Amino acid sequence: MSHAALDAGRFDLSSQNLTLGAPASLLSRVLVIIGVVLLIVSGMMAWGTDDLAMVSKSYLVSFMWILAISLGGLFFTFVQHLTHAGWSVAVRRPAEVLAANLAWIWIFFLPIVFMWLRGDLDALFIWADMEHLRAHNPEEADVVAKKEAYLNTGFFFTRAVAYFVTWAILGTFFYRMSLKQDSEGGSRITDLLQKVSAPAALLFGLTVTFAAFDWLMSLSPAWFSTIFGVYFFAGTCTAGFSAMILICVYIQRSGRMKGLITSEHYQDLGKLLFAFGMVFWAYIGFSQYMLIWYGNIPEETGWFLSRQVGDWSLLSLALLAGHFIIPFLCLISRWPKRYPLFLMVGAVWMIIFAWLDLYWLVMPVIPEDVYTATSYTEFADAHENASTHLSTPINWSLFLGMACCYFGITLGRLRRHPLLPERDPRLKESLSFENI
Amino acid sequence: MTTLSNTPDKLQSSSASRTRCYGMMAEFATPGEIMKAAEKVRAAGYRWWDCHTPFPVHGLDNAMGISPTILPVFVFFAGLTGTMIAFGLQAFTNATDWSIWAFVWVTGYPFLISGKPLLSVPAFIPVMFELTILLSALTTFGLMFLLNGLPRLHHPLFTSNRFLRASDDRFFIVIEARDPRFRRQATRDFLEGLSPIAVEEVLDT
Repeated sequence: MSHAALDAGRFDLSSQNLTLGAPASLLSRVLVIIGVVLLIVSGMMAWGTDDLAMVSKSYLVSFMWILAISLGGLFFTFVQHLTHAGWSVAVRRPAEVLAANLAWIWIFFLPIVFMWLRGDLDALFIWADMEHLRAHNPEEADVVAKKEAYLNTGFFFTRAVAYFVTWAILGTFFYRMSLKQDSEGGSRITDLLQKVSAPAALLFGLTVTFAAFDWLMSLSPAWFSTIFGVYFFAGTCTAGFSAMILICVYIQRSGRMKGLITSEHYQDLGKLLFAFGMVFWAYIGFSQYMLIWYGNIPEETGWFLSRQVGDWSLLSLALLAGHFIIPFLCLISRWPKRYPLFLMVGAVWMIIFAWLDLYWLVMPVIPEDVYTATSYTEFADAHENASTHLSTPINWSLFLGMACCYFGITLGRLRRHPLLPERDPRLKESLSFENI
Repeated sequence: MTTLSNTPDKLQSSSASRTRCYGMMAEFATPGEIMKAAEKVRAAGYRWWDCHTPFPVHGLDNAMGISPTILPVFVFFAGLTGTMIAFGLQAFTNATDWSIWAFVWVTGYPFLISGKPLLSVPAFIPVMFELTILLSALTTFGLMFLLNGLPRLHHPLFTSNRFLRASDDRFFIVIEARDPRFRRQATRDFLEGLSPIAVEEVLDT
């Protein structure tokens, strides 16, 4: 639009405004050091623990959380190319950097491989040791035995390799190509990325769905929910979009990208977080809940029953309120989304609830008497003291350790190149973008 | 009924007794020009005026100083009303045996379905959701019409031949005569100072 052309000179695209300075470098190193220290402390706490199930599940929660953030970044990146979006160019680089983290995220999966090599994998995934399961809980073992063609360690780790390779290739590709465009310019790379994003979306959907089945749903191997992959995908949007907002606010607080990311961009990021991270999440979560609640089949309801007894009922309600109702009311208006500090508080809130959501998915154990109890009241009374173990220190040391490492590395990468794709053909459109 | 081929001049001569000034209209060629002009009209303190463009011009609302619409507030409460009506209706019909008078006597019918509690919110949520959306959507649509002064069958601007190009390639600012700062000659001079293609008086018939 000619309006944009009129004001083309008002944008400060100097490298001073486009690159993070020395404080970011320091912060990045400090974060990585704190993160590594916290992870070592967690490792020492975990070493020789008599509750390997608890520790490994806690680790899985935080691993899935950083994975969700990266996948959210990848989703954002290819959807913008897929829709030929103009508005988002100015905020796309943070998403690309998050997606690029997928190239090394498999390193954090190695402890699970290590558990397998030690023969301890059944502490996390009970299907990994069928004899033990059969001795312990024959009814469940009968159901799980029918899934052995899919749920066996060989195929499990083969699939894991396939997911990580796919994600590493996609994340790196979008990131590298965008950097290449910084030096090459023109629209060739934009055209290429737009072509690639359609198959990328297909691969993303398949890998995310099956990764959620493998690493989250198979924790309760007898249980199944076909919508589960979509539920995890909603969680990746919550985590990924929140992280993007946080990075954008951080960049601007440190005096960079002045006048380039405007409240118009924040409003749209806020809309995405609102739509995918809260409303879509609640919609999918409820769809999953209502069918199982109505169907009332013992092998399905056990999963929800174990989440509504004792302290878990409080956490379930807290999740409903904190992941949907409260942020829904806070972010539904226009102004909170346009006010970066308010949106930042919302993003911090949501990224923590994204972690709690994963905690809620991973941690509860379905009690064995769920199949034998004669009434709900009997079952609820028997487990009224069920604890969430949320206050266990290792949950928080692992969470903070992973968070510090992850954002430290992300920041380190972010300061190596311009903070936006400076020669993207749609950059001008993005910079002068306005919601009506 | 006035036809569009009538020019204001003809109108004035044929039915001078029935015409009065509706406002002063300035025509611009580009979005950039109307944006600059709108800022000046706003700065001059006019309140009853509007811009007419063939397509949405981003940033024009800002330049005109239009305050955000109140519509979302109504929509929010309409949605909330829908939620509560749906909950009340289902709770009454499924979980109570009260008799109430709603033009006829109706009685709630406690209906036990597959052992669920009579008042089970999960089962009510789909209807609550749908009715929330329904009332919100109808309110958005209906109030959008009313707040825009629709439906109306006639608007004085359509008497101007020039104005036809507002849906094609020209951009118009119209200052209405009911604006307290409107003075026929002063406003015309002011608009001409904004370097438009043309300034024209619009008559209401």
